[in-house]
Amino acid sequence: MQIIIIGGGEIGYALAKALADEHELCVLDTELSVADRFGLLDVEFLTGSGTSSSLLERARVETCDLLIACTGLDEVNIVACSLGSQLGCRRTICFVSREDFVHTTEGRESLSEHFGIDQVIWPEAQLADAIERIIMAPGSVDAGVFAGGEIRLLEFRLGADSPLVGKSIAALSLPYGVVIVAVHHGDATTIPHGRTVLNPGDKVVLMGTREAMKALQRLLSPEASSGRARVVTIIGGGDVGLRVAQHLESEPGIQLYVVEHDHARGEMLAATLGNALILEGDGTDLSLLESEEIGRSDVLVSVIDNDERNLLACLIGRQLGVGSVITRVSTPANLRLFELVGIDVALSARGAAVASVVHQIDGGRSSLLAVLEEGQAKVIELTVPDGFPAIALRDLAMPNEAIIGSIVRGADVIVPRGEDHIEPGDRLLVCATGISAEQVRALFTTGSH
Amino acid sequence: MRLSLIFKVTGYFLRFFGLMFLWPMAMAAYYREWADLGGFALAGLLAAAIGQAMWLSHPEREPELRRIEALAVVAGTWLVVALLGSVPYLWVGLSPVDAVFESMSGFTTTGATIFTDFSVFGRGLLFWRSLTQWIGGMGVITLFVAVLPRLAMGVGRLFFTEAPGPTDQKLTPHIRQTALVLWRLYAGLTLVEFLALSVAGMPYYDSLCHAMTTLAAGGFSPHALSIAGYENAAVEWIICVFMFLAGANFALQYRALLGRPGVLVRDEEFRIYTAIVLVAALFLSGFVWRAGTEMTEAVRHGLFQTLSILTTTGYASVDFQPWSDQALMILLTLMFIGGCAGSAAGGPKVIRHVLIGRYTLTELRRTLHPRGVLPVKISGRVVPDDVMRTVLVFFLVYVLMTALCVIAVVLLGADLITGITATMATLGNVGPGLGLVGPMANYGHLHPVSKVVLTGAMWIGRLEVLTVLALLRPEVWRLAHWRPVARR
Repeated sequence: MQIIIIGGGEIGYALAKALADEHELCVLDTELSVADRFGLLDVEFLTGSGTSSSLLERARVETCDLLIACTGLDEVNIVACSLGSQLGCRRTICFVSREDFVHTTEGRESLSEHFGIDQVIWPEAQLADAIERIIMAPGSVDAGVFAGGEIRLLEFRLGADSPLVGKSIAALSLPYGVVIVAVHHGDATTIPHGRTVLNPGDKVVLMGTREAMKALQRLLSPEASSGRARVVTIIGGGDVGLRVAQHLESEPGIQLYVVEHDHARGEMLAATLGNALILEGDGTDLSLLESEEIGRSDVLVSVIDNDERNLLACLIGRQLGVGSVITRVSTPANLRLFELVGIDVALSARGAAVASVVHQIDGGRSSLLAVLEEGQAKVIELTVPDGFPAIALRDLAMPNEAIIGSIVRGADVIVPRGEDHIEPGDRLLVCATGISAEQVRALFTTGSH
Repeated sequence: MRLSLIFKVTGYFLRFFGLMFLWPMAMAAYYREWADLGGFALAGLLAAAIGQAMWLSHPEREPELRRIEALAVVAGTWLVVALLGSVPYLWVGLSPVDAVFESMSGFTTTGATIFTDFSVFGRGLLFWRSLTQWIGGMGVITLFVAVLPRLAMGVGRLFFTEAPGPTDQKLTPHIRQTALVLWRLYAGLTLVEFLALSVAGMPYYDSLCHAMTTLAAGGFSPHALSIAGYENAAVEWIICVFMFLAGANFALQYRALLGRPGVLVRDEEFRIYTAIVLVAALFLSGFVWRAGTEMTEAVRHGLFQTLSILTTTGYASVDFQPWSDQALMILLTLMFIGGCAGSAAGGPKVIRHVLIGRYTLTELRRTLHPRGVLPVKISGRVVPDDVMRTVLVFFLVYVLMTALCVIAVVLLGADLITGITATMATLGNVGPGLGLVGPMANYGHLHPVSKVVLTGAMWIGRLEVLTVLALLRPEVWRLAHWRPVARR
């Protein structure tokens, strides 16, 4: 596939790195200085603006299959995509960072209608949604919602006193309708078997129906489901912070604090948010956090535009006694480090966005639902093709490192066991690590077993 | 401050104001009250002549009024209009103090009267009395802005200085268009009420006078016993409806009429205003009912008197003077609340009470969260600091003015209840007070100096206190000059 990437920043680099081996890439950036980084990859690099038609023509836009605009400027991205599709590019993906362009559904439609943009990706919004899901599932460190909310995915870090620790998975009494789809132990993520034993410090990923997951949450974190009002502190009232605050505000039983250092931005937040208390000050200002008793928060979310300050704010929060701390990481390399020093959840907005784009390109007919543990495992959705024989799961030649988490059949959701059958037309939610994802896909596209 | 320019703009308005006297002349001619015609003719001619003289005082066309000049034009226009409006009263033999009091009470839509015997006055004069309220209700300046050809002299400033309460809602991009829209709505509602009252059995002349003074939240009635004199329950219910509308924001009603009734529910001031009416009427009816009035009558009088006092209209459907002290306390409280911003009502206005309440709560919260960003909000929007400050100062000055006037009136010989309620009723543009200035009594017996003080209170109250007081600052007058001197 011939792909043009406009913008050689973090997103552009991550995309190029993931796609360079398989595809024919051309990267455009106005800064010559970023060219060095791309020199190590097998890509063509052109210096200049993505909004110049002559440059796009030099990048052979007329034969190009996909144009991805991911500069830091929304307007540039929109113009580049528009120009690209005018000049004959088949498909365009536009990254945006502000709400203006995607505020309403009409906004999205007009983007595709007037500008020829096929897909808009707003990483900050995806991040904010992820943070909200994690907050709304107390005790979890990652959360996903699939099949219109019928299926939920939760990731927990196991403490020494967790009821799941010490026994083999086959011996656990999990609520009916819940499966453990992945276990993260040490540095490795594996798909568990009945004999797998869970240890303290492991992270487990569970999938199940909505009702079953509620029962599971009561089991794993009884104190969080007691119905008490939960206190959430958000440090940094930027795009992500505001979005998370807006979402949480509509949830009952949440008391919200937002710490923002910029006076004008603070006033804007106070005007926009109805019930949240806006505090003007630095998220790393110990005296402020102490006098406002931030330590009594159940969750602290730090979404400043700076990894170091986020880390500091989280560590202070943790020291003051906050229940769990969530932060954003801009540099993907810091992800591991953050979790090592005790941050409960570290999320990378760009990482998730890049993974979803890469999967779109390489994933064929399946769609990516979630990326677990920095890409070590994925949750993908597959449709069982017509003509595929209806067989019991235990007879299916599944790869070792893959598990079917749920079957969506019409309006029904089945959390399968060995004797359950799959039928043509079923949608399967599969959790798989690395190469196994490819094998599962191959299994269902060829139709052989 | 360029005095000649202020004169010019005021004169411009006055020339037009002279035409207003044609209406009572027509009415007097219709009822063959030939003797009264002279008063209106004299007043009209005076207005035209003085207006023309003032217009000529500044030869060249100046581009724009400055803020303080706009204030001076508004305050000055109201004063001169009230003085000229008193000429017909002088003509029929009232003393100058009484005539100006009655005229000012009309234009400021107060409704306080010095008339004792209504039978000696002609229908033309009583019509003029109602007309002054109708003009003053929507605002003298608003009328001029709406009707007169375009003024290139800082019209916007004039418009908002006069508007009651902190409001800056422009309905259309053009000020003149906005003024016109508001006057049309106002006139339309007046017409509807006139028709409704006529159908309910009130004579046409009385219907017209009452329709004009209801929408203005004024309260003058051609009947000595006010609404109680008609003994017609349907009339009272109709007037209740229109008093409620007169006390609500006209711009809001206009937008609701355009097919968006949702704006009424979303507007916090309107919601609170409605709630105040319902709660106060409930309690008032209860107290009246317990004192032995029949149930439906108690409810009707309770609601009518609640609306009459809250919207600062000042009609009486019954003599409430003998009501229990509990009931009177409610009326006194309502007097201190007033209607909505942007309505015809006077008083401190609902929105100012709400803002001050919220500000107080916010300050309490600030002691708990010294670093919190805690804005005061109304209808989901943040109230800017400078608006909040103006509201606070308004309140302080309003209370201070009340105290000073009460002191003056009581020292000049009125009893305490009379002095307090007369001040509140005039400064809030309500009309009747309690005691010797009660609903069936009048202000005629007060000391002449008291009348002058209360005339000033009405003027200041209608122009929302700060507008007038700003003009009393010495620096305004130190810099005042007749005409800019060209430098060579």
